[in-house]
Amino acid sequence: MLLQLTQVLVAVAALLTLVALGYTLLDRLIDNWLLGLVALVELGVVVQLGRGLVGIPDLSEHKATFTAYLVTLPFVLAITTLGAIKDKTRWAMASIAVGAFAVVVMTLRLQQIWDLYA
Amino acid sequence: MPDATDRANATDAADTTPTDSGRGPGRILVVVYGVLALAATGRSVLQIVEYFDRAPLAYVLSALAAVIYIVATVGMARGNRASNRVALVACTIELVGVLVVGALSYAVPSAFPDKTVWSHFGSGYGFVPLVLPVLGIWWLTRVRSRSSGSAGA
Repeated sequence: MLLQLTQVLVAVAALLTLVALGYTLLDRLIDNWLLGLVALVELGVVVQLGRGLVGIPDLSEHKATFTAYLVTLPFVLAITTLGAIKDKTRWAMASIAVGAFAVVVMTLRLQQIWDLYA
Repeated sequence: MPDATDRANATDAADTTPTDSGRGPGRILVVVYGVLALAATGRSVLQIVEYFDRAPLAYVLSALAAVIYIVATVGMARGNRASNRVALVACTIELVGVLVVGALSYAVPSAFPDKTVWSHFGSGYGFVPLVLPVLGIWWLTRVRSRSSGSAGA
């Protein structure tokens, strides 16, 4: 995988995790700032999806995990954020934080598989 | 969604009584279950299609876990008494599964040449598969008693 893409994606998703956690604690609702961060992360996971799909044949192991994570990732924040727009509570913000953290973990796992088996 | 007054006016605890299991803190559980369900299902389908012979037991268990995660996610997200009962059963199977498979993966490692979400008590997933059903059962019993408290009056 593109190491730089992973680094940027993990950084932005980690930032989103923290911001969403902050919103949860301060009882703030979703706004354009947060949506912008979500959009950035979404852009990153979609690019990652494209790059990853092309790279699947190069993997010697863990193709199943790699593909599943790759395809799941764009849905994680899309679904949590849609939920947060409909249900405007602090818990919706917390769910975005959880979703963003899942993006961090799954992206790191993708990179790890790539480093080991590609 | 009906508000608290609507709920209090409900005459009996019908299966469609909303329990709000997918709202508030429950939303977090739905997200985590949803992510696990998506990732586990995709992975499991690919494992079975691509190289089932390598570790049949592990892959069947992975598929089972994936289905249970889907059931739990949907049950919690729908948030009525009937769906909560289904989700509660799913969480219970999940807890039993992670404990049994976790123990077996230490006792009979040869039966698990490839990992499942449940092997080694979910250590490969930060023990999320072990903690999650406990949280799920706790939350589902909590919303159940809360909703029967308000609807049964």
